[in-house]
Amino acid sequence: MVKVNYKRCGYCGACVGVCENLAINLIEHIVVIDEKKCSDCNLCVIVCPLNALEGEK
Amino acid sequence: MRELMDSYDVVVVGAGPGGSMASYASAKNGVKTLLIEKSQEIGEPVRCAEAIPSIEEFGIKPSPEFVRNIIKGGILFSPSGKKVVVTQGKAQGFVVERKIFDKYLAVRAGRAGAKIAVKSTVVGLERDGDYWNVIVEFLGEEYVVKTKIVIAADGVESNVAEYAGLKAKKKPLDICSCAEYEMTNVELFDKNMMEFYFGNDVAKGGYAWIFPKGETANVGLGVRDKKKKAIDYLEEFIENSLASDKLKNATPVEFKVGGAPVSGPIEKTYADGILVVGDAAGQISPLTGGGIYLAMDCGLMAGEVASKSIKSNNWSEDVLKEYEKLWKEKHYEYLLNHLKYRKILEKLSDDELDALAEALGDNLDGIDLKKFVKRIITKKPSLLKYFKDLI
Repeated sequence: MVKVNYKRCGYCGACVGVCENLAINLIEHIVVIDEKKCSDCNLCVIVCPLNALEGEK
Repeated sequence: MRELMDSYDVVVVGAGPGGSMASYASAKNGVKTLLIEKSQEIGEPVRCAEAIPSIEEFGIKPSPEFVRNIIKGGILFSPSGKKVVVTQGKAQGFVVERKIFDKYLAVRAGRAGAKIAVKSTVVGLERDGDYWNVIVEFLGEEYVVKTKIVIAADGVESNVAEYAGLKAKKKPLDICSCAEYEMTNVELFDKNMMEFYFGNDVAKGGYAWIFPKGETANVGLGVRDKKKKAIDYLEEFIENSLASDKLKNATPVEFKVGGAPVSGPIEKTYADGILVVGDAAGQISPLTGGGIYLAMDCGLMAGEVASKSIKSNNWSEDVLKEYEKLWKEKHYEYLLNHLKYRKILEKLSDDELDALAEALGDNLDGIDLKKFVKRIITKKPSLLKYFKDLI
């Protein structure tokens, strides 16, 4: 599953915008990824402006 | 919150400019309206460069309360530093303090009669006959709010449109990843001109900007790049670019990040009991990333159509499709043209961008598209292959 580095995250929501599985929610300032819905497509990793998301290699 | 323990005709999700305008129009027409905002502070965090071409046409005075600067035009910089000036039409406008402007618009909706729920997150939508049950979380408690119509104005991270079965998700390169420092002590070419910097090393798939904001300026950029991150481009822009000299004494007072959906509008912006507005609907220029004005205008239309349909007691998609007809009449061509221009620009190498700037001359004023293309192909026939489809 993709992991969020909360020390880097700027809570902009770009990652939510590309998640076809609706696995990501931005709840106020906190990006929450639903482990059951994440398909490891890593699209969110690409779009993050701050490199705050780490995909599984 | 007592606002969440009631039923409504219209529930608007997201208190950005689009959602607040939709709520304003709906409430003003006497329809029972709830505006739901997930943050505890409306307008925060700011995610954009804060420029808007027009506010007076909405009957809103450009008050110093939120207007930080009046913009007369823009200066475009090619990779080698060739300048092209634009001063007319949509290049004019204002730079606003979004956190104050957004709140002003929400207050305006509230004063028109809309109820507002803050720190409230919509986590689901359930169809219940001709109604929606909107599932909302507030302080860890779950509330079910019944409504006839939902207006999804929940931005780039829209899940609400998807909950209702509409397609609103984007591909990664359809979103411009933006990073920005608001800085003070920025040296400007002109305190009333926006600066735009182009180039594949400056901001691949997008551009860098300096938007003067009075005592500060928004210094940022948007990129579409699978390898290098917006933040890395930004540090590079500040340290080592055409603008570095003018930024050497500058220091940040705010940091902003955002994702601008620049692939054009989504396929369908209405269905039974739902309308989609603003960034969620892709109502944002694919060329400039400007979306405040479009969201406000389309939000207004959504609020009008929603309230009319409530009064006629029919909020099926047959009636609500009027919304898409209205906004497409006014903005569709503009959006598709900007998408077309962006797709041309992103193909150009840095040398070709320089050649384009040379061909355009110093000033773009009083020039229509035909003249624009003619100027390019007379002066730089090598660029013909990119621009021939425009005429």
